[in-house]
Amino acid sequence: MSIRHGLLALLERGPRYGSQLRTEFESRTGSTWPLNVGQVYTTLSRLERDGMVAQGGEDAAGHALYAITDSGRAELKAWFEKPVDRTSPARDELAIKLAMAVGAPGVDIRDVIQSQRHHTVKAMQDYTRLKAQALVAVENGGAQERDDVAWLLVLEQLIFQTEAEARWLDHCESRLIRLSATAARTTATTATSTATDARSTPAAPAPATPAPTTPPAAGAR
Amino acid sequence: MSAQQPVLQLQNLARVHGAGATEVHALRGIDLAVYPGELVAVMGPSGSGKSTLLTIAGGLDTPTSGRVIVEDTDITTASVKELAALRRRSIGYVFQDYNLIPALTAAENVALPRELDGTSARKARVEALTALEEMGLGHLADRFPDEMSGGQQQRVAIARALVGDRRLVLADEPTGALDSETGESVLALLRSRCDAGAAGVLVTHEPRFAAWADRVVFLRDGAIVDQTVRNDAESLLSGQVAEA
Amino acid sequence: MKTWLHSWRAAIRIARRDAWRSKGRSALVLAMIALPILGVSGLDLTYRSSELSPAERVERSMGAADAIFRDAQVEGVPILQDPLGEMHTPAKDYKDQAWPNGRTDVTKAIPAGSTVLTDRSGPAKLTTAHGLLTTDVRELKASDPITRGITTLLSGRYPEKSDEVMATSQFLEVSGLSVGSTLSARNFDRTYRIVGSYELPDALGTAQVNALPGAFLAPYAKAVEKSGLPAPDNSTAYLVKKSGGFTWNTVQQINTKGVAVTSRAVLLDPPAESEVPLYAKEGWGAWDSSPGADAAELAAVGTVVGLAMLEICLLAGPAFAVGARRSRRQLGLVGANGGARSHIRAIVLSGGLVIGVAAAVIGTVLAVVLTLALQPVLEDMMKQRFGAFDVRPLELLGIALLAVLTGLLAAIVPAVTASRQTVLASLTGRRGVRRSSRVLPLIGLASVLLGGAIALFGSIVTESFVIVAGGSAIAELGVVAMTPALVGLFGRTGRWLPLSPRLALRDAVRNRGRTAPAVAAVLAAVAGTVAVSTFMASSEAQNRAAYEARLPHGAVSTFVMEEGGRDVPAVREAVQRYLPVDVRADVERVSVGKPGCDPWGGGGQDCGRYEVVLPKANECPLYATALPGAGDPSEKYTPDQRRKMITEDWRCAQSSGGGWVSVDGGLLVGDAKVLQVLGVDDPGAVKALAEGKIVSFSRAAIDKNGTVGIKQVTDIAAADKAMEKGLPAPGKVSSVPAYLVPEGQESYGVRLLMTPATAKAAGLATLPAGAYFSTERMPGTEERQKLDGELAKLGSNVDLHVEQGFVNDDSLFVIALAVFAGLVTIGAAGIATGLAQADAEADLKTLAAVGAPPRVRRTLSGFQCGVVAAMGVILGSAAGVLPAIGLRLTEEREAIGYYEEAIRQGWDNGLSGPPYVPIVIPWETLAGLLVAVPLGAALLAALVTRSRGALARRAAT
Repeated sequence: MSIRHGLLALLERGPRYGSQLRTEFESRTGSTWPLNVGQVYTTLSRLERDGMVAQGGEDAAGHALYAITDSGRAELKAWFEKPVDRTSPARDELAIKLAMAVGAPGVDIRDVIQSQRHHTVKAMQDYTRLKAQALVAVENGGAQERDDVAWLLVLEQLIFQTEAEARWLDHCESRLIRLSATAARTTATTATSTATDARSTPAAPAPATPAPTTPPAAGAR
Repeated sequence: MSAQQPVLQLQNLARVHGAGATEVHALRGIDLAVYPGELVAVMGPSGSGKSTLLTIAGGLDTPTSGRVIVEDTDITTASVKELAALRRRSIGYVFQDYNLIPALTAAENVALPRELDGTSARKARVEALTALEEMGLGHLADRFPDEMSGGQQQRVAIARALVGDRRLVLADEPTGALDSETGESVLALLRSRCDAGAAGVLVTHEPRFAAWADRVVFLRDGAIVDQTVRNDAESLLSGQVAEA
Repeated sequence: MKTWLHSWRAAIRIARRDAWRSKGRSALVLAMIALPILGVSGLDLTYRSSELSPAERVERSMGAADAIFRDAQVEGVPILQDPLGEMHTPAKDYKDQAWPNGRTDVTKAIPAGSTVLTDRSGPAKLTTAHGLLTTDVRELKASDPITRGITTLLSGRYPEKSDEVMATSQFLEVSGLSVGSTLSARNFDRTYRIVGSYELPDALGTAQVNALPGAFLAPYAKAVEKSGLPAPDNSTAYLVKKSGGFTWNTVQQINTKGVAVTSRAVLLDPPAESEVPLYAKEGWGAWDSSPGADAAELAAVGTVVGLAMLEICLLAGPAFAVGARRSRRQLGLVGANGGARSHIRAIVLSGGLVIGVAAAVIGTVLAVVLTLALQPVLEDMMKQRFGAFDVRPLELLGIALLAVLTGLLAAIVPAVTASRQTVLASLTGRRGVRRSSRVLPLIGLASVLLGGAIALFGSIVTESFVIVAGGSAIAELGVVAMTPALVGLFGRTGRWLPLSPRLALRDAVRNRGRTAPAVAAVLAAVAGTVAVSTFMASSEAQNRAAYEARLPHGAVSTFVMEEGGRDVPAVREAVQRYLPVDVRADVERVSVGKPGCDPWGGGGQDCGRYEVVLPKANECPLYATALPGAGDPSEKYTPDQRRKMITEDWRCAQSSGGGWVSVDGGLLVGDAKVLQVLGVDDPGAVKALAEGKIVSFSRAAIDKNGTVGIKQVTDIAAADKAMEKGLPAPGKVSSVPAYLVPEGQESYGVRLLMTPATAKAAGLATLPAGAYFSTERMPGTEERQKLDGELAKLGSNVDLHVEQGFVNDDSLFVIALAVFAGLVTIGAAGIATGLAQADAEADLKTLAAVGAPPRVRRTLSGFQCGVVAAMGVILGSAAGVLPAIGLRLTEEREAIGYYEEAIRQGWDNGLSGPPYVPIVIPWETLAGLLVAVPLGAALLAALVTRSRGALARRAAT
């Protein structure tokens, strides 16, 4: 779904050909969602089928150019306006893992949590490292600024998502500590509910192409 | 990195508050070394001993046992007076809020440790202005703290923590009173100072801010349970692709 | 050294900005320190400016002349004088010979070739717009350039003709006259026109009239003499101008002619003490204050200054403590940034330094400005024009330094306290019970014991007031130092109190660091007040007991002795008119010689006096007339004999009753109404008067024949000579049959009374002297003022007495003192309360959060204030009563000592028994201090807190 709308958003800025779309998409999302050209052309043909894009001539090098149609624009507008669907939480392996770990013999759930947290924080550190670089790039400005800002937002989305996970882990840990102090009887049920209570993180992030009105990203001040 | 001499070394550090029935082990068996150019974040649930670790590292509190070595000096045996001198010359503190002395301008606040150390007012001011300028805060030099935003105050506090020859910053929840974006800018500054060669210890409970560190140390019940070592960025990206 | 300076500069910068940030508190402390500095600097400036340089003094006394020549009144024998020309005595000793007394011709002593100007002055009864005014008339040619500087012409011109005068502005104001008015004198037919007004720069308050030489005094004296009165005396000085002036040697040469000289040259360059022969003479030594007296004075001044500074420190200290407490986090930050304890101390001390310096500058500048601006007012108050406006930088600097010192001292304790806090505690804002020093109470206890011992020693062994007072002061300071410990004792009483006072008391006791200085300030002020008022109440009781009424309560007496009683009828009339008189009893006096004479036998020829003869047999052996060289007759007796005579022999008992009559021998001429007014209830006396007898209240005056002898002495010179030889004076004695009033009748100083008819029959002339009046009620103040105004118009010296019983003059002083102590108490308690509130803000929020009504905040602060005031007042009262009692006991011992000694020596000092030195506790003052002041302080704090609470609530939302 998101690739479809991502391509529409790119085409809104003018006609493009397939591999060009792929390159732009990747630079916008910081290669977090690599596409292959096949995916691009499959999506383009589906869009063409739905009347949202139309083939419109060739460029100097003889690439076939695609352009957005009015219904495509309408679709794009509707997509920007509609919030990301949260009704069907994606399956989260971590949540399931923790739920299973509760009460499982021979497993120290605190170690499970810590090892996950270690991993999560480390990931955050790395994202943050990238973000720091992106911040520098954004501040230095230049021709690529639009793409840099988009990249920054994607990175921050990742960071916040990871942070949510880390926080959730913290929460799980402190709750487990408290519960283990009271009674062993309820351990299993509580742990299950803990897992389901926790707000699941959407598995497939929806990369938001920045609208032109989006303020320049963090770090500019 | 380990080839270099660490700026801060904590060796088998323990701190016990109270005695008898009310005895609390705030820290036990802490070993930690912070090298120049390194920013270490300390995370842990409240009561895990984060702040105690920081106050002991800065000589504001004394450990029950173990050693604290700052730039080759064992501060556990130092007198109150020597500790004060050490804070003037080697250690910079940044707290959660109200870091600046309201009666002094930004430049004067930054110059304060130097002036207390006996540097002439003019020389201290020049040093302070240099420090502020380096951090892009030159325009704030003559403002009073109540004429600055919280983020600006924290950044000036970082400048003060690193003025002169000081290269160890101990930051206790420096972003606690700030909004997310301002907090980020403060950490970005801290990060850049560490990249420029300073050593930093950051206590925080926000993973997002801890993530700015090169190393994250997890404290639980006064002991270090785990620590991360930073990955190469590119390798992470590929791993993340698979997850996405 | 240099680094030390740099870190202090940083500290001062912080302190300066902090002081500016908390303007209210800074202004309060500043005012506390600056006000005394302003006062003292102003006094110094005024004193120094009014203190004239020798040149200025010379100008004001002799103008442009080189010397003033005065008759030494020793018949021209050689004299010795001091360099000022003020003291002089004959060079020769006249031990047993007649002292030379008479005039000499001063002009003969004036060297040839000098310019001479006479300066003559004498009193005259001048007519004014209201009546008569006895005024000094001065004949000095004021227009002469030689006199320039002696007088300052204010308006009009100098008199040029003999019927022109000028008058001082003071005279014009008092007399109601103005330039252009005419002026005359009583018994004098000439009139003068006032053509100008002037002032004497050294004596602005002097009423004086200036006339041309010879224009007034001589004709006036003649006119007065013609009317039968003695001519008024006058004195003459000569302003002499001579090139070269008069050196000390020249002055001494002129002294040989019996003339005293005040020389410009000598004044400007005084001779060494060794060159002044007068100082070598016994009893005329240079009048120097002894070093001991100087030291005592210095000690007294030092003590007062020290106590004042202590009081200010105690008051301002808590304010600095509030400052340090409020900026605790800031101090913690300094600590975290490497500020050592010395730096923290420096910052808080700098607060004191900054305020002290500011107070010094403001106080000094204001003092200079105000003194300059108020110069005319000050000059009028001092009755003297300033010389040059004299700013003594060193003295002002010294006073200003006191301000700086006070500021620093006040900040010392908070500074030490602040620096003792660990950085961590300051940063986290953790509160805890701050331990007060254990050394201070011990020092306090030691000084209480030491001071007490000194005072005890003083009152038991030495009877020395100074030692007792000094010991008490040391003990008092000790109590101040012990305050923290004493405050701790109060904490135990808290258990039974309801919530608010319990909280307040606990809080005060737990935070002794801030409570103690405030309590100590209250303690010191209250202790001083209680000590002084106890002492004064006791003295008052003693004075009341010792008071002797001059007349029956409510009665009035009036006497006029001048001019043969010429004004007596007018005075009698005036009294009757203005006061609620019931009975009027006119009295006359026996007169010998010319009617205009002075009743005590002066005033030249044709004047005489009378004596009431004391029969030889009735003479007290101790006081018997001594023959020359025979020594004191009392020395013939042993102390025991003397004691016996004093206490048992009626001849030696002097009238113990009060009262005093300004007539020789207490002899009055009047009728039975006098007895009535005096309250003498003795029909026998009334009958005796009617029978032509003299009524005597004194047994000693009546001789064995039952008569009283009255001797008329007409030749005073012969009488004086007889006196010197121990012989009775020559004179005719009239014996009058006497009636002795039985003992127990109070006569208020009247010893003998006879009717005018009796006097006439005995050949005694009488003159009106005055009157006694009984009143229907006690004359009011307004009536008295009206009467005084009326009497003043007569220009006579009227002796008027209205018996009002014992009037205590000191009560106003005690009230002022109590009010001062009250203010200090309220101020100190207020400061402590503000401090407590700064500390308790968190508690108050918690209280409010758990649902305490807003009232609690108010009652709590009220009780906090009240607790501090009450503790200070209770401790202060206890600490104040004891030294006062000690001082009184000392006084009693001293008085008893004197009494015993007097009895032993055989002097009856008029006391009827052993001295009465009561100790009276001023319960009213104490009650006011103990109850009203804490209550007032509490109410005030509660009242003020309400508005603050509202503000805080608004700020919180």
